[in-house]
Amino acid sequence: MSSDSAIRCAGLGKAYQLYARRTDQVKQMLFGGFHRFYQEYWVLRDIDLEVERGESVGIIGRNGAGKTTLLRLLCGITQPTCGELNVAGRIAPILALGAAFDWEMTGRQNVLIGSAVLGLRRSEILQRLPSIAEFAAIGPFFDQPVRLYSAGMRSRLAFAICVHADADILVVDEALTVGDAAFRQKGLAFMEAFRSRGTLILVSHDMEQVRALCDRVIWVDDGGVRASGEVAKVLRLYDDATECEEDDGIRFRLDAEARAALSPAATNRRHKRWWTRCQS
Amino acid sequence: MSVFINRRDGARGSTGLPDRPDQMSDDCAKGGIAARGKRCRNIGQLREAVGRAARHGKRALAPLKVGWRHRELILAVLRRELADRFSGSVFGWVWAVIGPLITLLIYTMTFTKAMQLPLASAQGGTSSYALSTFLGLIIFGLFAELCSRAPLLMHEHAWFLKTSIFPSEILAWTAVLRALTYTGISFVVLLVFELALNGMLPLSILLLPFIVVFLGLFLLGVVWFLAAIGAFTRDISYLMITFVPLMMFATPVFYRVADLPAGLRMLVYANPLGAAIEIARAVVLDGVFPPIFACLGFLVVSLAICRGGYAVFERYKGILIDVI
Repeated sequence: MSSDSAIRCAGLGKAYQLYARRTDQVKQMLFGGFHRFYQEYWVLRDIDLEVERGESVGIIGRNGAGKTTLLRLLCGITQPTCGELNVAGRIAPILALGAAFDWEMTGRQNVLIGSAVLGLRRSEILQRLPSIAEFAAIGPFFDQPVRLYSAGMRSRLAFAICVHADADILVVDEALTVGDAAFRQKGLAFMEAFRSRGTLILVSHDMEQVRALCDRVIWVDDGGVRASGEVAKVLRLYDDATECEEDDGIRFRLDAEARAALSPAATNRRHKRWWTRCQS
Repeated sequence: MSVFINRRDGARGSTGLPDRPDQMSDDCAKGGIAARGKRCRNIGQLREAVGRAARHGKRALAPLKVGWRHRELILAVLRRELADRFSGSVFGWVWAVIGPLITLLIYTMTFTKAMQLPLASAQGGTSSYALSTFLGLIIFGLFAELCSRAPLLMHEHAWFLKTSIFPSEILAWTAVLRALTYTGISFVVLLVFELALNGMLPLSILLLPFIVVFLGLFLLGVVWFLAAIGAFTRDISYLMITFVPLMMFATPVFYRVADLPAGLRMLVYANPLGAAIEIARAVVLDGVFPPIFACLGFLVVSLAICRGGYAVFERYKGILIDVI
């Protein structure tokens, strides 16, 4: 791995395991060596990607194309099924903002945990608390339980935590969609400033945002890279494709064999077979 | 972070890195053969053996290393959980002390006034029998609490694990440390009572921290194991509901090892929980050094269970997140 690349992956793939019934999970765990009890659903296949340190890369694609799974792999939240992945540096994910909060705890307590998850020491966190509270700008609600927050307030707080995490790599998934205009401005300004010192991976459906923040764009479609390169070129291809392709469910398809094994009818058949065997 | 996984091996997770062969000792061994004589070869083999032993040792320490690497995070979560427990209720700390206090009072009353047990160990003095039972129950309670909590540990934190980069192996550490803290409160009550009864505490009590450390390692292994399997099926927590009360009688809680026929005593020591209780009784109540074979057995079995539990958790860690 060259010293300049922040993220490098080769042949990366992720298959989720779809089970017809819950008991199959246990069977798979116990006897997985002899027989496969699940159907594979490949969300991502053969992803080759190299991101230089300091580069900012946009990832675009339609719903269900595998963008979020790719980000989750990069962050190490899920493990790849195959392939090689190297990530150098401290990574701060801004995914599903505020979802990881404990609703019974106050904002302040959540900041203490959330920052520790991102790898900050307690002394550093305490030092940054005032600054985090100021960035989130939720006033006295900082010391109230998170269950009283609105979605916007939660994402403000979560974004503030990531901003103060000293990350080398910032992974952003549709982060600013719930914030109001003023907060979006602040978030964009931060990301703009961050570009000069770190690596930025941005998933967005807002093409203006991608155009403003990214040096390079990757178009993910149907679990693979459909196009990548210069921002203007890829965005033009993507626009053309959106115009002529229909919005149908074809992206969420399973192959015929998997569909047959997972269908309720198949499960019923298996139950019936088992039942008749018990009777005789 | 660096992950390399081939297709066949996918379940092994991020730390399933292939072990790099010990280059130096290998070269050394080859060089020895090529150069001359038996002596060189022996040295080479010796080095290789030492290298292998060192690698095994390193691997055995992996669970501890994980805890140390994430110590800041463990402390942050622990601090929050303890605060939850003690400041969420009005009389937080008071309840934590009153609970064991009442338990101990009722035991003492039962065993000194109401019941005269025909056990040999109960003849020594009924108040000391109450103390010994209380000690047994404290340690067993720790195990029982963790056994009932561990299978649900991953489900409890499922959303958290799925949406942040929280390392899931930390949950076992915080669960064990939290349970140990509560137990510590009961233990202080026990010591105060012993001091009031006997007027002094035995010097051997200084050995107690060692017992706590190894008991903690044993519990860590158990929690990792149960949490990994419990993530796949909820049956484990139902199984624990029947298993734990049975375990209570297989463990010397209400009796002491001395009450058993000699043939069965070794069986009790083979159970790390029973060994921990008996060793703690020897150290805290009797003021004698526990039998050395019991200590060694306890040490080895705890370490093995800790390492084994961690290995199981590591193996399934990669797919856990997709399953819960």
